[in-house]
Amino acid sequence: MKKLLDILPLVIFVTLIIVLFSFLSNEDDQLETALIDESFPEFSLTSLTDKTKVLTKSDISELPALINVWATWCIACKVEHPFLMQLKEESILPIYGLNYKDNRNKAIALLQADGNPFEFSIFDFEGRLAIDLGVYGAPETFFIDKAGLIRVRHVGVIDDKVWKEKFAKYLDE
Amino acid sequence: MIPELGHITLIAYLVLCLVGGILPLAAIFFNKAALEMPIKRVTSLLFSLITFSFLILIYSFLVDDFSVAYVAQNSNINLPFYFKFAATWGAHEGSLILWILAMNAWLISFIFLTKCKNTDFLNTVFSISCQVMFAFTLFTLLTSNPFERILPIPPLNGADLNPSLQDIAFTIHPPLLYFGYSGLLIPFAIAVAAMLFNTDTKEWASYSRPWTLLSCSFLTLGIALGSWWAYYELGWGGWWFWDPVENAAFVPWLLSVALFHSLITSQSKGVFGKWSILLSILAFSTSLLGTFLVRSGILTSVHAFALDPERGLFILGILAFFIVGSLIIYSIKDLNQDNSGTYELNSKEFGFLLNNLLLVILAISILFGTIFPLIYEAITDGKQISVGAPYFEIILFPFALALGLLQGIALYLSWGSSSSFSFIQRVFLESISVFGLILLILYILFDNLYLTSFITIFLACWIAAGTLQVSKKRNINYWSFLKKRLAVTFAHVGMAILVLGVGVVSSYSLEKELILAPGDSFEFGDQIVSFESVEDTLGPNYFSKSANISFKDTQNDTNVITEKRTYVPSGQLTTEAGIIMEPFQDLYISMGDNLEADIWSFKVQIKPFIRWIWLGALLIAIGSMLAGIKQIRRA
Repeated sequence: MKKLLDILPLVIFVTLIIVLFSFLSNEDDQLETALIDESFPEFSLTSLTDKTKVLTKSDISELPALINVWATWCIACKVEHPFLMQLKEESILPIYGLNYKDNRNKAIALLQADGNPFEFSIFDFEGRLAIDLGVYGAPETFFIDKAGLIRVRHVGVIDDKVWKEKFAKYLDE
Repeated sequence: MIPELGHITLIAYLVLCLVGGILPLAAIFFNKAALEMPIKRVTSLLFSLITFSFLILIYSFLVDDFSVAYVAQNSNINLPFYFKFAATWGAHEGSLILWILAMNAWLISFIFLTKCKNTDFLNTVFSISCQVMFAFTLFTLLTSNPFERILPIPPLNGADLNPSLQDIAFTIHPPLLYFGYSGLLIPFAIAVAAMLFNTDTKEWASYSRPWTLLSCSFLTLGIALGSWWAYYELGWGGWWFWDPVENAAFVPWLLSVALFHSLITSQSKGVFGKWSILLSILAFSTSLLGTFLVRSGILTSVHAFALDPERGLFILGILAFFIVGSLIIYSIKDLNQDNSGTYELNSKEFGFLLNNLLLVILAISILFGTIFPLIYEAITDGKQISVGAPYFEIILFPFALALGLLQGIALYLSWGSSSSFSFIQRVFLESISVFGLILLILYILFDNLYLTSFITIFLACWIAAGTLQVSKKRNINYWSFLKKRLAVTFAHVGMAILVLGVGVVSSYSLEKELILAPGDSFEFGDQIVSFESVEDTLGPNYFSKSANISFKDTQNDTNVITEKRTYVPSGQLTTEAGIIMEPFQDLYISMGDNLEADIWSFKVQIKPFIRWIWLGALLIAIGSMLAGIKQIRRA
């Protein structure tokens, strides 16, 4: 009996660690499934380059497409920028930008300096659309299929490897 | 080049920790004197290395080296220099370095200040600490290297420090908390060494006690500062939210309090030895668990760091290795730790036992409430549930009541049995003082009565009276006796003040949402609140709307500013509450939304006695700090 009591803390802790572990390992999937196969949320926000122009969901007209969340303060976005340019130059699919909690002038200046991979960028200063999308931060990329449904969500930098593993197969569908 | 120096130093530190984690143990268990290390020198060297590495990181912040990714993500050219300095520990990577630095600081203090002739024991404590520091450093280097560069083209400016962290309390809240958490490493390492050598309970308890007290003191300060920061920075006027991360700090705090009380018994009477060992392991493991919860992204909270499952896995690995490892030793080794002391129900031993049971069950209940949503989600395959403040409050109340009642009589108890002590006289005296104190407090507050606040006011008075009157059981001068027991008096009276603050603020607070245009006034409690004007102001890295508000009552007319700030680099909004502090109440106003033109919504609150909560916590921290220092001197 006394020995049993000595082992008890060990048993409890091991159980706890297993629970936490199992939760960690399926964390990744859950993050992605939240919006999968839902249609892209409605929004009404101004265009980055034109303060007076209001953009809505219907402006994302060419499908399938990528929606890329970016900002000038986001370091990783700079890393991913050349790859987005490459997608644009090879005309693989249209990319729409979601400029997230950013300074409008700085963002325009950056696109002029480094090149603009986007058909247009939605200016989301307060992060309203980002909240609907459940954005964690920039960069983040969504793939929308022909029917307007979100099929892939990727948190972090998108590069050649990520593109091939996660996105390419949906483009062929 | 300079950041690489920091990186290389960190790698050197890692290697040295590994050596220190293996050699001394090998020397002991294979009985090879040749492998022994001069641990004082090695500890000093380790400390210099990690300090140097940390200084380099600070330097990178101060000179705006945005080629360092961590700096670029957490600083900005326009950030004032003191926030650049504090930004060093503003996010995951830098705070890990600070954490390791803190562990090393504790280790060096322990090694140099503990007068222990048993070198094997000291070497083992050193070695185990090195292993933990090794694991944390490896974690830092592999998953969260703060010296990582963005090359070849570094950004011209950084993304800025999270605006709500740009605050003076924040600059000191995390270091204090990290020192508190990491200090629990020492009792843990001592407990493991005590198991390995089956050291005499009284002996190892005397080594462990000061460090437990000091960690607890730092934890208290850290938690209190965090609570204070949340109060005025988040703009809600609350002081405790039962946020998972707050709980993750509260649980080790409860366990460290339980531990040093249990260690008193172990050191004085040689009993509860095994229990103290188990508690040491639990306290350290919950402090690691807290780190895991915050940094794995497994729970979402205002404190959440970068989300990265890989990091979570690594910390879980560290947790599993050290805690499961020590618990295996605990379960298989025949520990000869409990002297067969006998004690009665009215003894000090039994008092401590009760105190420990209550604290530990409370800690486990809070821990359970914190991770239950995860377990529930795992069992039900993704259904979500949230455990909020009501659960925790229902749990806390009876335990706090029982602990407070116990605390009020605890100091009268003697070892073995307290039969020589006349309880009837004591209780009579105490009742009179308690009654007097309650009347005094009600006189100050004046207004209506709530049952819950009545109970907490009673409890606070009970603890205070029980602490302050204790000397009369012996025939010595009251003040010189109190001076002798300065530490415990501070800590216990602090607890009384804290309980009083909590009780009053939770039932006597007033709160109202107002919509005001400049020139409008509103009657609120005994105050007349007027919105005088609103203007645009400009800070170093933000612009803001600041409203000038006046509070008027029969005697005073005070003005206060509340702001809505927009931080330029990130575009984030923060609210700066306007607070008028008075000894018995806070007048609190925070700016809400801009409805049209100059019309704003405001949240006004009157928070009686809220300052007493932090005052109480401060006294507790001072008390345990004094006790810790006294124990180090005595050892």
